[in-house]
Amino acid sequence: MDVYILAIESSCDETSMAIVKNGKEVIGLSIATQIDTHALYGGVVPELASRMHTEAITLVLEDVLNKAKMKLEDMDAFAVTYAPGLTGSLIVGIEAAKTLSLIYNKPLIAVNHLIGHIYANNIENNMEFPMLALIVSGGHTELLIMDDDYTFKKLGETLDDAIGESYDKVARVLGLKYPGGPNVEKLAREGNHTYDLPRPVMDDTYNFSYSGLKSAVINLVHNETQRGKEINKADLARTFQDVAIDELVRKVEKAFKETGIKRLVVAGGVSANSYLKEEMQKLCAKYEAKLFIPRLLYCTDNAAMIGAAAMPLYLKKEFSDFSLNASSSGDIC
Amino acid sequence: MYCLYIDSHLENLVIALLLDGKLLEEKTITQAKHSEIIVNLIAEILSHNKISVDALKEIIVINGPGSFTGVRIGVVIAKIMGYTKNIKLKPISFLQAGALNYDIPITLGIEDKNGVFIGSFNEEHKLINDYSYINNNERKNKDIIIIKDKINIEKVYEYLKTQEPVSPHMLKPLYVKKLEVQNG
Repeated sequence: MDVYILAIESSCDETSMAIVKNGKEVIGLSIATQIDTHALYGGVVPELASRMHTEAITLVLEDVLNKAKMKLEDMDAFAVTYAPGLTGSLIVGIEAAKTLSLIYNKPLIAVNHLIGHIYANNIENNMEFPMLALIVSGGHTELLIMDDDYTFKKLGETLDDAIGESYDKVARVLGLKYPGGPNVEKLAREGNHTYDLPRPVMDDTYNFSYSGLKSAVINLVHNETQRGKEINKADLARTFQDVAIDELVRKVEKAFKETGIKRLVVAGGVSANSYLKEEMQKLCAKYEAKLFIPRLLYCTDNAAMIGAAAMPLYLKKEFSDFSLNASSSGDIC
Repeated sequence: MYCLYIDSHLENLVIALLLDGKLLEEKTITQAKHSEIIVNLIAEILSHNKISVDALKEIIVINGPGSFTGVRIGVVIAKIMGYTKNIKLKPISFLQAGALNYDIPITLGIEDKNGVFIGSFNEEHKLINDYSYINNNERKNKDIIIIKDKINIEKVYEYLKTQEPVSPHMLKPLYVKKLEVQNG
């Protein structure tokens, strides 16, 4: 029998709801983004985000029901992101989901946002195991092995900043608008690799580090400005991006070699970066590996991925009760 | 007619159920994480009185001021219930609810760690001017009565009888305090 899950995502600056059938088919998706508001302040203002989620919550619910042409009575479960993210923002979605679960007497499913990003690859597709999972977002940079649904083994993670965070910081020092990632990528397309930036981690682990690279960019801009020299922003954006993405490529290549796994899933907001996608395509071609990257709509934060990630939990009957609370950190393993 | 009362604006979490304006049951929990307790508390009070959410015709929600997250929790629950089940939503500030205990013009306050939220009301319990927040160092010589008494929920129900309900989309917390980024 078909399973319909209404999923809610409010971990950062998008209020989103989706109705997902069998974890595969998106029947309706609504996303209210706050990007323009936070752009005024150069980054996400947590309290403002929580306030905007609260104002949007029933509007987004109405929108997703209209788009799906379905009723809440038709739902089999209510899923919600509980971690990681901004606690105050997560709570808005969590209380909404619990209330729906109470009203319609259907199970509540708590979904980890990062696992959601991975399962975005299961929409209109079938993930196969074992596979490598590279999570790249504003808060996370991790490389995992998945042997099966919801079976994770961590190979490595960032020791300091996440890759998306370093993109945002570099965008700021280059005078680019928030959100920084897409703007750095755009500018990098017009530049050449002319600057000398240090490689992040030279050791033999699967770990990442982006703090040193970010600092190197900031110092370079500072020093050149002091000397009265003009920075070629496009060249610097290009150099930064080359080094940042190359680091991901090196670690995934090491994993291909050492594990023999022939599948890679790329997940998280930075998976929207087309240079990253091109480089991973090349790498996967070299190792004859199958690459999963969600389509652009499902790369950034959205509730469809939460509905997709809720499906295995629904089948295993891993439900939550009304004491579910938000958590700012949310390690997968 | 069943009415649910929700107050999550400060440490005390209060959920109550009224039938035709008479208090059937009131539950107060102190010093708990509201988000972990509140929906359970609502579920308990409904099942104890052998009704479901469908039986509710009205929700009275304290919309602030107080803890931002606390207020949001109550308001979000009310919005979702109101939207999905077409339940009338009647918000009231904790200050105004407190003012119903007085029949004289009065200025009431709610303290938090840095200052006090203030509202002044006339003898008919109508708000005079806007709500405000002052820091502790500006508080001297101000005649403010801090609300210590319990809210009389039946009085709140009576007062709100004549007030128009608010649509679920429009129901908002009363924050009073502006954000730092908005001041600059």
